[in-house]
Parts: sequence; C-alpha cells; structure tokens
Amino acid sequence: MTVTEPASEGVAPSGGPVVKVTDAWKLHKLGDEIVRALVNVSLEVHQGEFVCLMGPSGSGKTTLLNIIGGLDRPTKGTVEIVGRDTSRITESQFAALRHDTIGYIFQSYNLIPFLSAVENVELPLMFEPYDRKALRQRAVDLLNLVGLGHRLDHQPAKMSGGEQQRTAIARSLISNPALVLADEPTANLDHRTGEIVVETLKDLCSKLGVTVVASTHDPAVADQASRVARMKDGQIQAE
Amino acid sequence: MLKYGLMYGLLSARRRAREMLLPAITIATGAFLVVIVFGMQAGIKQQAASLGHAGEIGHAIVLISVTVLLVGVVEAAVATTRTIAHRTRELGVLGATGVRSRPVLVALLVEPVVTAFFGALGGAVLAAVVGAVLGAANAVSSSVSASGTVTGLVIAVAVSVVAAAITSVVPIWRAVNRPPIKSLSAS
Repeated sequence: MTVTEPASEGVAPSGGPVVKVTDAWKLHKLGDEIVRALVNVSLEVHQGEFVCLMGPSGSGKTTLLNIIGGLDRPTKGTVEIVGRDTSRITESQFAALRHDTIGYIFQSYNLIPFLSAVENVELPLMFEPYDRKALRQRAVDLLNLVGLGHRLDHQPAKMSGGEQQRTAIARSLISNPALVLADEPTANLDHRTGEIVVETLKDLCSKLGVTVVASTHDPAVADQASRVARMKDGQIQAE
Repeated sequence: MLKYGLMYGLLSARRRAREMLLPAITIATGAFLVVIVFGMQAGIKQQAASLGHAGEIGHAIVLISVTVLLVGVVEAAVATTRTIAHRTRELGVLGATGVRSRPVLVALLVEPVVTAFFGALGGAVLAAVVGAVLGAANAVSSSVSASGTVTGLVIAVAVSVVAAAITSVVPIWRAVNRPPIKSLSAS
C-alpha cells in the first residue's frame, strides 16, 4: 500500500462510470410544505475526472454530494457507485462501501482535536487490523504528498486552516479510495490557500487517478475542474 | 476490531484527561462519602446500641450510603451525556468514513469507565487516608474500622465503574448509530 498506487479499490468494472446518478429526486417535508432539494438529477462521473458542482447556497450541491456518498438517500432515482446500485444495499453495507471506496473532505475540515495530524490521517483505518507501522508510513507519505511532512505531530489547533484542510485531504486518501467527495473544500480558506487546496485535488486526479466530485460556489475552483455541473433550485442546469 | 476500539478509547482518554477531570472529581466525592460511611458504620452502630436505637440508626446509615451511591450513578450518567455531546462531530466523521459501530461503541465506553474507575479510586483512597488519620488521632467519637473502609472502597469503585458502564451503553449506542449526516450537522 503506497501513495503512488493508482486508486484501485472498487474501480468500476469495464471502465464504467465511478458515479452514476439517474433521475434522482430528494424531497423534504417542512411543516405542510414539500421542499424539492433535488429535482430529476442525472450525472455520470468517470475515473480520474475532477467534477465541480457549482451553484448558489440552497441549489442542491451538498444534497447531491450526500446522496452520492450515502450519507443521505434519494426519495426517488438510483445512485451507482463503481457499478454497484446503492438503492439495494443496507446502511451498514453502504458504510462498508464508503469505507473502501469513498473519501470525504468537509468544509469545516472536521479533524479530531486531540489527535495529531498523522493520527487524523490514520483515523478511518485505526479501527481495522492493519499493520500499525505500515499504516503510519502510509499516513506519513500522504502528509508528505500534500506538503505537510513537517507537521506530522501537530494537533489541529496548532495548524492553519489550509494545513487542516490538506490534512483532511490526506485523511480522505488513506484507504486508497476510487472517489473523493469534497463539500465546499475552500469555503473557509483565503484565496491563495484555496488555490493550493484545489491544486492538491487536481493532483489527486492526474497522478493517482482518483475521481473527485467537489461542491463549490467559487468560480476560481470551478475553473480548475475538468467538468462543471451548474446547479440551481435542485437541478443541474448545464454541464 | 474491538481491540482497536479499545486502543482508540485509551488514546482518547489519555489525551482528553483534562475534560475528564470534572466528572472524575464528582465521582470521587461520592466514593469519598461511601467509604467514610462504611468505615464509621461499625462504630456508629456500637454507639447506637448503647443508646438503644441501633435499628433506626442502622437503617439511616444504609439509607445514606444508598443515596450517596445513587448520586454517584447519576454523576456518571451526566458525565457520559456531556462526553457524547462534545464528541458528536467525531462520531459523524467516523460514520462518514464508514467505521463500524461496535469498535466505536467500545472506544467511547472507555472514557466513562476510566473516569469512574480513577475518580472512585481517588475519592476512596482519600477517604481511607482521612479515616485512618481521624481514627489514629481519636478525632471522632465513633471508631473508624479498617474492614469497613476496605468494604466501602471496593463497593464504591465497583458500583461507580458498573454504573458508568451501564448508564453509558444506551446513550453511546444511540449516538454511534445516529445517521452521520445528523452528527456532522450538529454544532
């Protein structure tokens, strides 16, 4: 297990899409009103693509990301991850799929405050029977990959926002996922730091063959993507 | 897998020792009172017998001991609830990365159990020392018995640990099985 390996876990069979969303709807009940968070959304993302979901707040970007990652389920429609129809699997099976296939990057980093950078990167595999030395080496390699080799033992409180987000990127890669989902990864960062984070995400796609789907409302992030899906009122309006 | 949950729990308990201090002190207070009551029980009963009210006073002592232990149990439950509230986002991250529930349950159980153990042990040992000093100095009219003190120490530690584990399992299990999206959106 090295960081230079291309994403191999759960790659879609016969070169099919890593993500395939078909006619997905998400409806929420808010009092007497039905809110349409997603309206008939279809999207295909192939291996190595860096796709940005772009749109204003409330356009459905985060809902779509959550549905792709199985943190939420569509009211109607199907989601296939690496060729597997997720509407037919249980929550625990989806958790296992997420564990092996999907890495998550959150807007607010969500690092564990009492763990060091390298321990935060190890976190998703800390509960598994992996060789501890190999796991530590992989976490160190990933932190080196995102330019944080000098911050291994720092806790999140002693790191800048950009460093925390790059640690979160390293964490998302620890299980060698085929797909990384990033929810507004640069929203809490200044422009220059945001650029570094986007460069890092782009490198994941080009060097490791990881597929990245990111939500953003920042045109500078979207400019770097291989494809942009513009969302408004729960719909993809243009690609 | 459970072994790795235990390892993570011990790591987090070590790193979060400062957050565990307040619940440990409250549990220590309960254990202190239990050990003092048990240590002086025999002496008080002896004095009560000479006054002719042994039965009533004996019942009162048992009632005080039970009340103090119940306070300790409530303290353990409150400490766990506080811990879970502080660690909601951590649970959301673990859920989002697909970590299984059982090792996480074990990991989160470690903290209340360790807090209860060390809190109760600290309070009980302090009470034993105070009891021994008071007994040696003849500062109390009823004697402090060594066997009563040891019984109180064992009961205080055992009840605190068992109560912490029992009162923690259900809230932790619920928190661990909450959808990660809810835990992540909690502030």
